[in-house]
Amino acid sequence: MASTIIETAGLTRSYGDICALKPLELSVPEGEWLSVMGHSGSGKSTLLNLVGGLDRPTAGVLKVGGEDLLGRDEDGLARFRREFVGIIFQQHHLVPYLTALENVMLAQYFHSVPDEAEARFALERVGLGHRLKNRPGELSGGEQQRVCIARAIINSPKLLLGDEPTGNLDHKSTTMVLELLRELRAEERFTIIMVTHNQEVAAWGDRTIYLDDGVLVREERKTG
Amino acid sequence: MQLVFKLIPQLIAWTVMVLLLLRGMPGRRGAVLISAVTGFSLGVAGYLLLSRLFPVTLPLGIIRSAVGGSFFLLWSVAVAALYRSTVRDFPLLRVERLVGTIYCAWGAPLLTGMVAGGIGASGLPRLDNSVLQLLAPLLLLLAGALLVLGARSAEQRLTSSLGVTPSAFLAALVALLLFSSSSSILLDLFAPLSMKVMKGTHDFVHQFMESILIPDHVFIRSAIWGYIGFLFGKEVGFWGGMVIWFTPALLIALAIRLEPLPSVAHIRQGAQRRRLLADAIRTKQYRLVIPALALVALAAAAYQSSFPNVEYWDPKPLAVTATPAGEIFIPRKGEVELEDGRLHKYLYKQGGKEVRFFVLLTPAGKLTVDLDACAICKPDGYGQSEGMVLCYYCKTLIPLDTVGKPGGCNPVPVPFTERGDGVHLDALTLVNSWSRTVQSTTSSKGGK
Ligand SMILES: Nc1ncnc2c1ncn2[C@@H]1O[C@H](COP(=O)(O)OP(=O)(O)O)[C@@H](O)[C@H]1O
Ligand SMILES: [Mg+2]
Repeated sequence: MASTIIETAGLTRSYGDICALKPLELSVPEGEWLSVMGHSGSGKSTLLNLVGGLDRPTAGVLKVGGEDLLGRDEDGLARFRREFVGIIFQQHHLVPYLTALENVMLAQYFHSVPDEAEARFALERVGLGHRLKNRPGELSGGEQQRVCIARAIINSPKLLLGDEPTGNLDHKSTTMVLELLRELRAEERFTIIMVTHNQEVAAWGDRTIYLDDGVLVREERKTG
Repeated sequence: MQLVFKLIPQLIAWTVMVLLLLRGMPGRRGAVLISAVTGFSLGVAGYLLLSRLFPVTLPLGIIRSAVGGSFFLLWSVAVAALYRSTVRDFPLLRVERLVGTIYCAWGAPLLTGMVAGGIGASGLPRLDNSVLQLLAPLLLLLAGALLVLGARSAEQRLTSSLGVTPSAFLAALVALLLFSSSSSILLDLFAPLSMKVMKGTHDFVHQFMESILIPDHVFIRSAIWGYIGFLFGKEVGFWGGMVIWFTPALLIALAIRLEPLPSVAHIRQGAQRRRLLADAIRTKQYRLVIPALALVALAAAAYQSSFPNVEYWDPKPLAVTATPAGEIFIPRKGEVELEDGRLHKYLYKQGGKEVRFFVLLTPAGKLTVDLDACAICKPDGYGQSEGMVLCYYCKTLIPLDTVGKPGGCNPVPVPFTERGDGVHLDALTLVNSWSRTVQSTTSSKGGK
C-alpha cells in the first residue's frame, strides 16, 4: 500500500458569494494518476491550484506529502511549488523570446542553478533533441507542450499537475503527450493529477473523479 | 545631553559586537550574554578606577594595546585564511579553533566587553557635580546592559542563513573595536598608524637618498624633488595606513571567495545536485556579509580618525607687541586669565614674520611659554583637550605635564622670565627660535 501524497478534509474555496469548491474530502495515494473531470466552471482548476500551492483555501485541511500546506508562509509556499510541484497548463506559458533550452534552464534557475547539460538531456527525453534552439513560436502545439513537460519535470517534482494540457492538441499530439507522461511516470514515479474535459484522456488515469458545481459527485476506478 | 550623542557610536558598535558574538557562538547564548554584560561592567569600572589611581594615560594605554594587539592577531588570521583557501589542508590557527568553544563563549565577550566598556567610560566627561559624576557611569552601564538584550532580540530576528566563519568573526569584532576606539582622539589607532607609515617611508627614503644613491643631492633635477617630496607628504602616510588598515579584512573576504565549492558531481539526481550547489553558493555569499561589515566599520573608523569629532580649546591668538627694548610682556591678569590651566595663544608680528606662541599653566603649577609649533612637523599648531595638547599636523597627543620640555613633537619651549605681574620674553629670541623651527620643518623637506 503506497503512502498518501494528498489528503484533504473539508477543503473549501469561495470567491465572495461564489463557492467554487464545496467542502471536499479527497485522498490521493503516491504514484497515482488521477483524472479530474467536470463541466466548465465546476471547480477543477480551483482544486488543482489549491493542491499546487498556487492558491489558498478558504477553509479545511490540505495535507501534501504529510505536511499541512496551510502552515506555510508565502516563502514556504513558493519553495513548495519550486521543489515539489510541476505544472502544465493548456496555454503553454513559455517565455516567447527564449529558446526551448533556455525555457527549461529558466526553471532550473528559479529552483537552484542552471545546468545546460541536464536541461538538454531533459529535452532529448521528451523527443526534442533537435529543437533545442527554437523559440516557442517556431514549435508546433504538441512540441510546445512537450517543452512544458520537460520544464515541469526538470526539478524532479513529486507531483505533476496538468490543467487540460491536451485541450489544444489534435488527437495524434494528444496521444504522444500522454504516452510521454506515462513513460516518465514509470521512470520518475511522480503522482499525476490531470484536469480534462475529455473522457478518452481521463481514461489514461488510474482513477477519475467528477466535480459538479464544486462538489465531488462521483468517482470511477479503472478496471483491469 | 551631549554625553549621549558622544557615546552613540560606541554604543552602536557595542550592540553589533554582541550580535556578532551571539551569531559566532550559536548554542551558547547564555554564556555570551552573561560574560558580555560582566565584561562591559568590568571595563567601565576598571577604567574609572585606574584613571583615578594613576594618570589617565595608563588605562588609555591598556585599551590601545588591547585593540592594537587584536589588530595584529587579525593580520595573522587573515594571512592564514588566505593561505588555507589556496593551499588545501592548512590547519586552523589556534585562535580560530577557539571560536565556538566554551572558552571563547565566555572569554571573547568578556574581553570584548572590557575593552568596549573601557572605551565607553573614557568618553565620559569629567563633571564637577558629584551626583552627575556618579550617575554618568551608571547610565553607561545600564545602556550597555540594555543593548546586550537588544542585540539578543535583533540576532534572533536575523536570517539563519547568515553564517560566520571564524576568521570573519574576528575581522568584524576587531574592526568594530577599532571603530569604537577611533571615536576618541586619545584612543584612535588609525592616525598613529598613518604617522608610523609616513615616518617609515621618510626614514627609508632619507637613508636611501643619503647613503646609497648619492651622498650629495646635486645630481637630482628639481622636478624629481616633486616626487620625492610626495613621499614625505601626509598622503603617503594616509594611503599606506589605509592599506595596512583594510588588508586583513580584504584578505579574509578574498579567502572566503576563493574557497572551493563542495563537489556534487556524484549526486545523480539533477534537481538535488543543483539544490546542493545553490545552497553552497548561497552560504558562501552570506559568509561575505560579515567581512563586508568589517570593511564598513574600518572605513568608518578611518573616517572618524581623519575628521575627529572632538572640540579643542584653541583660542584665536591675541596680537602682542614688544617694547622698544625688544621685550614682550604678558600680564598674569588682564584680558585673559593666564593661570587657568588653558592654552593661551599669542601672535607677534615683526617684519614679514608672524610668530605664534602660547602660555600655559601646567598641572604641576608652573607657567610655560612655547612656540605653537614643534621641531618635526609643519607648524599647524596645537589644540587642547582634556589633559593633553594635540599637534594638529601629526595628531600626536602630548600630556600637559610634559609641555615645556623640548623634543619630539612637543611644542618648542621659549625662554622667559616670570615676575610678579606676568611673564616677560625677549622678542628677538622668540623670532629667531620660530624662524629656525619653521625653516627646518618646511623648506628643507622637499617643500612639503
Ligand atoms: N478568481 C476568481 N474570482 C471569482 N470567481 C472565480 C475565480 N476563479 C474561479 N472563479 C469561479 O469559480 C468557479 C470554478 O472555477 P474553475 O475552478 O476555474 O472551474 P473549471 O476549471 O472547472 O472550469 C467558477 O464559477 C468561476 O467563475
Ligand atoms: Mg479550468
